[in-house]
Amino acid sequence: MNALEYVTILLQTGLSSLTAYLAAHVLLCLLPAFFIAGALSALVPKEAITKYLGRDAPKWISYPASALGGFVLAVCSCTIMPLFASIHRKGAGLGPAITFLFVGPAVNILAISFTGVQIGMDIALARIVLSIVFGIGIGLLMAWFFRQDDEAHNAATNGGGAFAREDKVPGRTWVFFALLLGVLIAGTLQVGVLTRSYATFTLPGSWAGSFQAWLDSVVPPNPALGIEGVSVHGVLLIGLLILIAVTAWLGLNKVDEGFNGWTYVALGLVTLTLVVASFKVVAIAGSPSIGSRQGLSVGVTGKLIAEITLIAAVWWMAARRFEAYDIQEWLWEMWRFVKQIIPLLVVGVFLAGMARALIPATWIETLAGRNTVWANLAGVLFGVFMYFPTLVEVPIAQTFLSLGMHRGPLLAYLLADPELSVQSILITNSVIGRKKTAVYVVLVTIFSTLAGLIFGWFIR
Amino acid sequence: MEIKILGGGCARCERLERLALEAAAEAGVEATFTKVKEMDAIMGYDVMSTPALVIDEEVKSSGRLPRKEEIAEWIRAAQGT
Repeated sequence: MNALEYVTILLQTGLSSLTAYLAAHVLLCLLPAFFIAGALSALVPKEAITKYLGRDAPKWISYPASALGGFVLAVCSCTIMPLFASIHRKGAGLGPAITFLFVGPAVNILAISFTGVQIGMDIALARIVLSIVFGIGIGLLMAWFFRQDDEAHNAATNGGGAFAREDKVPGRTWVFFALLLGVLIAGTLQVGVLTRSYATFTLPGSWAGSFQAWLDSVVPPNPALGIEGVSVHGVLLIGLLILIAVTAWLGLNKVDEGFNGWTYVALGLVTLTLVVASFKVVAIAGSPSIGSRQGLSVGVTGKLIAEITLIAAVWWMAARRFEAYDIQEWLWEMWRFVKQIIPLLVVGVFLAGMARALIPATWIETLAGRNTVWANLAGVLFGVFMYFPTLVEVPIAQTFLSLGMHRGPLLAYLLADPELSVQSILITNSVIGRKKTAVYVVLVTIFSTLAGLIFGWFIR
Repeated sequence: MEIKILGGGCARCERLERLALEAAAEAGVEATFTKVKEMDAIMGYDVMSTPALVIDEEVKSSGRLPRKEEIAEWIRAAQGT
């Protein structure tokens, strides 16, 4: 193989991961997830959670509340450190603060839904359950190791008035979250009721078959490497995504100052894209000589019906049940997450795709092909020393999976990567000191390895 | 009058500062603006989360973005006392 062919293959695998990712994964999973993350950030007052994290809260409330708080509050990494520091200094103490720090980055709605769609629901669920259980475990252990410090510290710092503040999440916000979550779940859950087509019609045209053949030649599917290829449907959706990007730039950048025409165009396009993505579209390359039909077969799926109903309800609530100011805040937060995360993700997916062609599968198989202590430890250590921006750990993990990594070590890696990076260790160090940070890092390493081992053993 | 914005320089903190500047201008009040970015200094106030707004050493809001009218109201009240 000469150098040029090699570069072509690299670019092709990168491109195919990116297109497959945009067409299949972003839409029904990440698009709603960004809206949910924005809503959590804009519509849930932090005091609704933090009132359970005060100094006087009993353990059986403060630990679960810290774990849950990670889910609700930690959609943005810039809120984690101040909350962590204040839970530690003024609130429930070291244990719950550690639980919050551990659970926060792992169980945010974006990471979980993305993991579920790209790698598998088993890993996504394991990620939630194990990080909550182990987060609480590590918190309790840390509190126990440093119990004397904590008492001295309690006496030295003044009581936290900030924790006493009451705030309630209004009922309509809960309903709104349920609807948004419904959009996400209906779009991504693979069950018969949703994926079945209840009616099918065919758009005639011979172009569809040849277009699909051309797509297959540009981005060849390669099941051995887990490369999916791109469909006609996918190309249409990517086109819509580009339109959304342009109109959202014009319509959402200044949404905090009010809606403009582009805001509605962008939101309309988002709705349209979610609806189009829910159809089941297959190009049929029938041969004209025997008179079989050519064209695009379009299926009306259960997913489509569910999505239309839920999105209509979201629009209705946003228009009738919320003040314009709340909706502006929501869209502003959502767009901020998109601007922060999507560019990194696009680059990350492209590079992770290329890595599939670069790294020989035998390496991964020897290192982490089986579920052993060393394999899990290797997964954890890789997560600690390689720092990937938010969510990029997911395409990286998928690359490993397609190269033959066992699901146990894969989970160990997925748990350790967001929790422990050189960067987060340094920040933690500045809040709780060197000794406690060292103990924390060791505990996370042990627990993540253990989690991978247990999970890998279960799914054997 | 002294207005402080507590927060480590994230997008929300910058927006809060902009809102507070506009609110002060609209209320016609002279104020000095300080950004407090150090975690230790932020923890010195009674806040759980950033961004937080402090007017004359009193915490007015934290963890959320108040409306411009709300801030103008606080500024006027602080001016009156």
